[in-house]
Amino acid sequence: SSQLSSLPLQILLYVNGIYYIFYFLATLAMIIYKSQVFSYPDDLLAPDLAVLFLMAILEVPRLYLGFKGNLTEAEAPLGLSLGLTVGSVVLCVYLLLWQTYVLWADVLLNALLLSAYGLESGLKVTAIAAFVS
Amino acid sequence: PADIRDATQARVRSPPAPVTDVARLCVCDLLVAQCDVNCCCDPDCSPEDFSLFTSCSVPVVTGDSQLCSQKAAVYSLDVEANPPERIFKLIDQVNPSIFCIHATNYKQALYLKSPEIPTPENFDQLLDKFGGATFSAEPDSWNLDRDAQNPPDANETSRYEYGVPVQTEDAFLRLPSPVVSSWCSDANPAGFLVNQATKCIRSVSVEKCDSIQALSMLFYINSSILAVPKSSQMVNITVQSIVVQSLNGMRTLLSSSDVLRLPMVLDELCINAVLGVNYHITHTDTGEIIEAAAAFVLGAISKETLSIEQSFEISFTQENTQPVPLSGNPGYVVGLPVRAGFQPQGYPFPAAFLSNKHSQLTILHSTSTQDCLAAQGARAPVLFGYNMISGCKLRITAAMKCQPLAQTLLDVLKGQSFPEYVASFGNSQAQDVLDWVPITQLHISEQNEMVSHTLQSSCQIPVSLGIEVKWTKYGSLVNPQARIVNVTATITTTTLKQLPSGRERIIPITSSVVFTDISSPAEPSYKAWPTIDIKLPFDFFYPFV
Repeated sequence: SSQLSSLPLQILLYVNGIYYIFYFLATLAMIIYKSQVFSYPDDLLAPDLAVLFLMAILEVPRLYLGFKGNLTEAEAPLGLSLGLTVGSVVLCVYLLLWQTYVLWADVLLNALLLSAYGLESGLKVTAIAAFVS
Repeated sequence: PADIRDATQARVRSPPAPVTDVARLCVCDLLVAQCDVNCCCDPDCSPEDFSLFTSCSVPVVTGDSQLCSQKAAVYSLDVEANPPERIFKLIDQVNPSIFCIHATNYKQALYLKSPEIPTPENFDQLLDKFGGATFSAEPDSWNLDRDAQNPPDANETSRYEYGVPVQTEDAFLRLPSPVVSSWCSDANPAGFLVNQATKCIRSVSVEKCDSIQALSMLFYINSSILAVPKSSQMVNITVQSIVVQSLNGMRTLLSSSDVLRLPMVLDELCINAVLGVNYHITHTDTGEIIEAAAAFVLGAISKETLSIEQSFEISFTQENTQPVPLSGNPGYVVGLPVRAGFQPQGYPFPAAFLSNKHSQLTILHSTSTQDCLAAQGARAPVLFGYNMISGCKLRITAAMKCQPLAQTLLDVLKGQSFPEYVASFGNSQAQDVLDWVPITQLHISEQNEMVSHTLQSSCQIPVSLGIEVKWTKYGSLVNPQARIVNVTATITTTTLKQLPSGRERIIPITSSVVFTDISSPAEPSYKAWPTIDIKLPFDFFYPFV
């Protein structure tokens, strides 16, 4: 077939977008819960919140570039999206391992997000390979 | 020197490291090197001691239960075995909640903070922080912010408020008063709108008569009063009147009060010494002082006098008003006189009421002689909230005529000018006719058993006056004001039987005032339930309707 756009990548990007909204709200709610129940000094709360909001800011162009690259079969936006994914992965690993309090729910959400990123990255690489050749 | 510092270093020990191993933690191990009873985790206990225990007072020792998985030491007694033995198990306790703490990168999160050990270096700082009666848990930066906001704005206090000290050029308007003992202290400032009267003793001597500042008029009118706090507008204190008191106590009012009379020694007497000052301050309704006047009482001090009593008074009047003493603002204050008045001619068209000191609600004042006819005129004002009863004894002889006696007794009970209206609020103005409550007058006659005989001697004399004042709480729940609703004056009369000549009878005459609280209990009022106002758009069901 002449269609090079990857359907699994499209589905995954779409699902990722919806899941990310849920993930952001849940993580923010849990940080608020932790700050009320546990002892959470301000100088430890600020970096955790900053990482969460930075990840949200990165996610929007990342998903947009992913959609655009896949649908227009262009490898440049897809490559850029892959680069942003690396940044998101780093931030996600921070929230999984180096947050002040890592709850069990945090572990589940972040692990799920990390696996989605990993799968996405694999699919993007194959799509770029398909577009280039 | 260095050796002392080394010695102090050696003495300062760091606090003991916290024990975090649950197998070694034992909260019931209180006795050192001895076995605590029923304490299964006590390392000092031998298996023979364990066999004597009945139960374990501490069954489980765990860390923070919010962790997802943590070690727990479980102690129990196996009573089946013979002899009973202690079982110690180290297990992993799992918290099933999804919000359990899986890991934490903040080491101090789960432990209490170790306190700072005082050393010679940080002792002063610790004393500052914790040395007082209270200390706050907030960090120090909080206090600094509050101090920075503290210096008051110069534009804010542009008027005097109740209780604020009246400021003068140099300091405050002084009203010398006794502080701990009866000796005068000059450091008492006069508060705005606080009417005060004080008396205190000052030590004097004739030789130092002109050098004691507090005896000279100049001391009290020297510095002018600031019209508003922190302003440059001054109000001079004028001399309103000077009264000269002679050594035997006789007072004369001087005709001219312009001349300042300073104390001086004359014939071994110190004359023109200040014995009393009465300040009258006039202010506007916006808290600005516009006039100040002082009335002096000057006297003479003889050589033998070592101390004199000085009396000071200050009163505040609003400009353009008559100083009618208020009994509360607006509700009556317990202990202040009930204000009463008359309605002038012109009824039924209500005009303003006349209310002055002479038309107070008064009650008969018991005297030491207790004779009603002898001590006429002694009356006491009715004070709000104070139930009073007073009386006297009436000696009736055969020669007394009924009608004049009844009239005299009515005068004794009610006084010369019994008012017709009572002010509903403590600050009711004379021109607000609706704020005044009429006094209901009732006449009750005491019935005797022999009813038929009353027709013959129909002479009724009043024997008791009972004033019942019904008041209610008015206004808000947190600051209720007392308001008089109803005043009833009941005169009880009894028949006076004719006495055989030569005999006399003593009848007690009483008058009483009772204050009754008829306030209804406060009803809570709730806000209306919020209503949900949903209106669907007109074409909501478009395809179907």
